[in-house]
Amino acid sequence: MTEDRFDELMRDAAQTYRKPPQPDFDAMWNVVARDSFGVTNPTRAGRSFRLPRGIGIAATLLLGIGIGRATVTFKSASPTSARTVATTDARTDSLPEPAPYSTETSQYLGQTAALLIALPSEVKAGRANEQFLSRAGELLTRTRLLLDSPAANDPTMRNLLEDLELVLAQVVHLENNQSRTELDLINRALEQRDVIPRLRTAAADISAN
Amino acid sequence: MANTVVAFQSAYRVSEPDLIARVLAGDRIAARELYDAHSPRVYRLAFRLTGDADLAREFTQDTFVRAFGQLSRFRGDSALSTWLHRITVTVVANAMRKVKRFRERETDLEDVHPLGSDSMGVDPVLRERLHRAIDQLPEIYRTTVIMHDIEGYTHTEIAEVLGVAEGTCKSRLSQARAQLRASLADLAPELES
Repeated sequence: MTEDRFDELMRDAAQTYRKPPQPDFDAMWNVVARDSFGVTNPTRAGRSFRLPRGIGIAATLLLGIGIGRATVTFKSASPTSARTVATTDARTDSLPEPAPYSTETSQYLGQTAALLIALPSEVKAGRANEQFLSRAGELLTRTRLLLDSPAANDPTMRNLLEDLELVLAQVVHLENNQSRTELDLINRALEQRDVIPRLRTAAADISAN
Repeated sequence: MANTVVAFQSAYRVSEPDLIARVLAGDRIAARELYDAHSPRVYRLAFRLTGDADLAREFTQDTFVRAFGQLSRFRGDSALSTWLHRITVTVVANAMRKVKRFRERETDLEDVHPLGSDSMGVDPVLRERLHRAIDQLPEIYRTTVIMHDIEGYTHTEIAEVLGVAEGTCKSRLSQARAQLRASLADLAPELES
């Protein structure tokens, strides 16, 4: 009885002792992301509504594309706005201009390089499974979004993205046909187009900037 | 564009080891997935150990910053949750020692209104006394009581988190409970064994 009574008290304590409030996990994540990765993550709309992986990136890129296109239209349509832009540019000449989408592009390049470097061993070990190929599919989507974004204004970057689009499309099609021939074709494309070294160079350039 | 949606949806659910690998490759989205999966329990533990929402939030953030910084050293010998909770306990203990005080509960015993029994049939005065008694336990006992009796960790989990033998964990819990009973003896003599 004594033990039962004490257990009852402890069960009550589990409900009442320092009952945790509901914190703002999104705000906490922003601090974690800043301190861990040097960036602030966009806050999700709400914890109860979770978007599928990658949708946030796609939305960001699409927004950027929209802004980019709207800006081009606006500049070309209005001489007044052109003067305003020129004034602003002159005022900020001394400031370094951040490369468009540098953070996003840098991450994308790193992840793509990691996937392509791992590809031969993954296929050889029979680990190029649905998950691996889904990852390739996601990177292919990001490639196409970046091709439509200001990040592709740079001709070198555009060429690289176009080559990556081709290679990743081949990787995605490995899904139902993991033959040696397919892998050889991909490897040949990687070598002929010098893709991996260019990836590394591009990633290093972005980091340096 | 239809392929886009399929690609995103199929890539959404991945295993924890894969998420860890992605975080190590610099994937921030994977890091967020791990954070979402583990932050509620880490926060609960931090709050139960500190009794302070601001400190609990800060220690939860510290836990994840440290965890992501040291993730390459996580070898998977224990569950990721165990590893994270070990970091949490360490972060809390170190920080609380640094400030040299544990936050006292602000409500005085005299301020507690004897509103009668609640749904669990517990006298509020007795409840408050128990809470104070838990606060006043030595740290190693208090952590064990909070993890086992309040948060529901098993002895195996506590032993892994605290880096002690399971027997030690059971012994500490027994000692802690004895001290709690003794603290309540004047209010509930039948509890004193």
